[in-house]
Amino acid sequence: MHVKGLAAFAAAVGVGLLSGAAIAQEVKQEKQSVLGNANVPPVTQEQLNAADKNSKDFLLTNGNYAQTRFYPGKQISRDNVKNLHVAWIFQTDVKESLETSPIVVDGVMYVTTSFSHVYALDAKTGQQLWHYAHKMGPITVYCCGPNNRGVQVLGDRVYLATLDSKLMALNAKTGEVVWTTNIADPELGYSETMAPTVVKDKVLIGTNGGEYGIRGFVRAYDAKTGKQLWNFNTIPENSVGVWATKDATGRDMHRNIQAEKDMLAKIGDPYAKLGGGVWQNPSVDLATNRIYFVVGNPSPDLDGSNRPGDNLYTNSLVSLDLDTGKYVCHFQYIAHDVWDLDAVSPTVLVDVKDKGGKTIPGVIHAGKTGHINVHDRKDCSLIRFSEAMVPQENMWVLPTKEGARMLPGANGGVEWSPIATDPGQSLAYAINLHQPMTYHVESSAYPNGKLWLGGAFKVIPSEKQSGNITAVNYNTGKITWQVQTPEPMIGGILATAGGLVFTGEGNGKFAAYNSSNGKELWSFRAGAGVNAPPSSYMVGGKQYVVVGAGGNTQLDYKRGNNIIAFTLD
Amino acid sequence: MFGKLMIGTTALLLLAAQARAETIDDKVAVCAGCHGADGKPVDKTIPTIWGQQAGYLYIQLRDFKRGDRKSEIMQPIATQFERDDMLAIAEYFSQKPWPDLGQPRAPKDVTAKAVSASASVGCPACHLDRFQGDGTVPRLAGMGRDYLAKTIADFRTRARGNNPGMSDLMLATSPDDLAALVDYLAGL
Repeated sequence: MHVKGLAAFAAAVGVGLLSGAAIAQEVKQEKQSVLGNANVPPVTQEQLNAADKNSKDFLLTNGNYAQTRFYPGKQISRDNVKNLHVAWIFQTDVKESLETSPIVVDGVMYVTTSFSHVYALDAKTGQQLWHYAHKMGPITVYCCGPNNRGVQVLGDRVYLATLDSKLMALNAKTGEVVWTTNIADPELGYSETMAPTVVKDKVLIGTNGGEYGIRGFVRAYDAKTGKQLWNFNTIPENSVGVWATKDATGRDMHRNIQAEKDMLAKIGDPYAKLGGGVWQNPSVDLATNRIYFVVGNPSPDLDGSNRPGDNLYTNSLVSLDLDTGKYVCHFQYIAHDVWDLDAVSPTVLVDVKDKGGKTIPGVIHAGKTGHINVHDRKDCSLIRFSEAMVPQENMWVLPTKEGARMLPGANGGVEWSPIATDPGQSLAYAINLHQPMTYHVESSAYPNGKLWLGGAFKVIPSEKQSGNITAVNYNTGKITWQVQTPEPMIGGILATAGGLVFTGEGNGKFAAYNSSNGKELWSFRAGAGVNAPPSSYMVGGKQYVVVGAGGNTQLDYKRGNNIIAFTLD
Repeated sequence: MFGKLMIGTTALLLLAAQARAETIDDKVAVCAGCHGADGKPVDKTIPTIWGQQAGYLYIQLRDFKRGDRKSEIMQPIATQFERDDMLAIAEYFSQKPWPDLGQPRAPKDVTAKAVSASASVGCPACHLDRFQGDGTVPRLAGMGRDYLAKTIADFRTRARGNNPGMSDLMLATSPDDLAALVDYLAGL
């Protein structure tokens, strides 16, 4: 079908007109969705279960249900990566923060952009097959960019969650809308930026909104109908906990427990507006039928005076039963957080050594305080935390009106950026930020879905910022190697069986490193911030590495709109 | 009888249609008195609403009606409107072209100070690249200088009470830096 015909078809079925007001100026205001044909076979649950062994496709946001971001192909290796070159560049219609994780299904790539656009591309040539331009509602409320991190395919449907808090199934071949479900009310501060995780006919989704006094959740929706199957409130009605005075590493958090208890007696449990967003994918343990995810910060971020207690399950690792959504276990890293140093980067399931040296199923999470935390998958308990990957100073000084300096700054450590692992080397690879900040506190009542920070975290302009790529042995907690970068890092990383890790920087550099020692082996300048997680796949017998280069809103890295695929001759 | 009924029905339908057609005009006619018939506000402390983000305009109307945002002028006007009216008015003005108020670009040193202050508290995380805004977050680029200065001052005293997060951020920023931001944003 010709483009003209397709556009007419799109208009006729009434889908995908862009909203003029809700979309950045760079987007062509009158452009319609272009629906077309991606000749892609249905994705089966069996294929998804075996994604970790599949070097042809890249089926899930973080590679596989364990979220290892370890790509098993090795055509691109330490020896030949120096010859890596651009295969194609695709320019999206949206020049804003680009955090997409491209997925690839049998030679068809699905990528997303800010404002919840989806593109299907020919993974070999970069040719556009279809474009779904979401008709955004007038009310969107989000703190850190109009991001979208990707989609997932099950059967013949592509699952998307949108900035105006809708869950959608699209036809994987054409981009047509199959069903739409409202997840939550954007006017109250709910939004969606994460890719759904789809497993066993369930679409798993969390929510943003920890800066707006939401009550967070993780939900499962029926993949066929969009009907809600279960809901887990990340903030239980009893959110008080055990009055923990120390963080996961044993440091005193300087809580005034008596003042909190007095406030609890006065106002009751603050669970209803306590935040606790979940905006990164859960990992799925197929053997035990459990999911593992981390819950974000309490609302308001910096003012703990009106939210007495540990604020469960904010800043925690949580596990649920996949079929029912029932609670299995949790581990809280920072109770009653007043620094926004929450838990965001997605969990990873790998076998780990327990304290006695026995190999057991583990779950690991890289935190904003700069540690990689290693847990027992059975009960969520903490086995060890790694050496700090970034400078830590003055922890845990309480925020003040004038501002109290503490390291790390509120973005981390490790922000949302997914880590990668190489189980053969027992290494986890994380990208970090070093941003000296002052923490300020102010008090105000719940503002009906408006920004509710309870103060501010301020970058100290006179102090040098930087970033790093760090490899940590998760069986010892020791740092194996570290590469310093000139700017704080945000986006993600990929490890491959070719002995490489790939990651990008805000200044546009995208590079490959020896995964055993951190030696840089290849690099490319993308011209805009490379702040998205890379993926890898095979098509026509050749391995490709693909990454988005569109900058980042949160750190204000140069915007662009490119999806760039690399390959060897 | 049938003819009369037809004429009467037609007249009613016309009236209804006219009423509907006039409704949006009626609703927005009053706005031009202050916000300007050409989109340029008649007083420098009044905000530009032509070309402003629809979500933001809606939320402000909602908050005036609720009393979350105080204004002796806007509150009685917004009180007349239901949610759908507010959304329609917001959409109407968002589709108008943003007016050029002819404000000068900030000098280099002021720009550098403003950009540093903006990066420090992360303004672009919500107001986006080049301060164009989106959804419920307003465009600030090219907004009237005096309105910006007044709004920031009102956020700092919480006289503008419908966004405590903004108050927190403005309180954490020095008056010097805020003055630079005002000049910078007005000149974008």
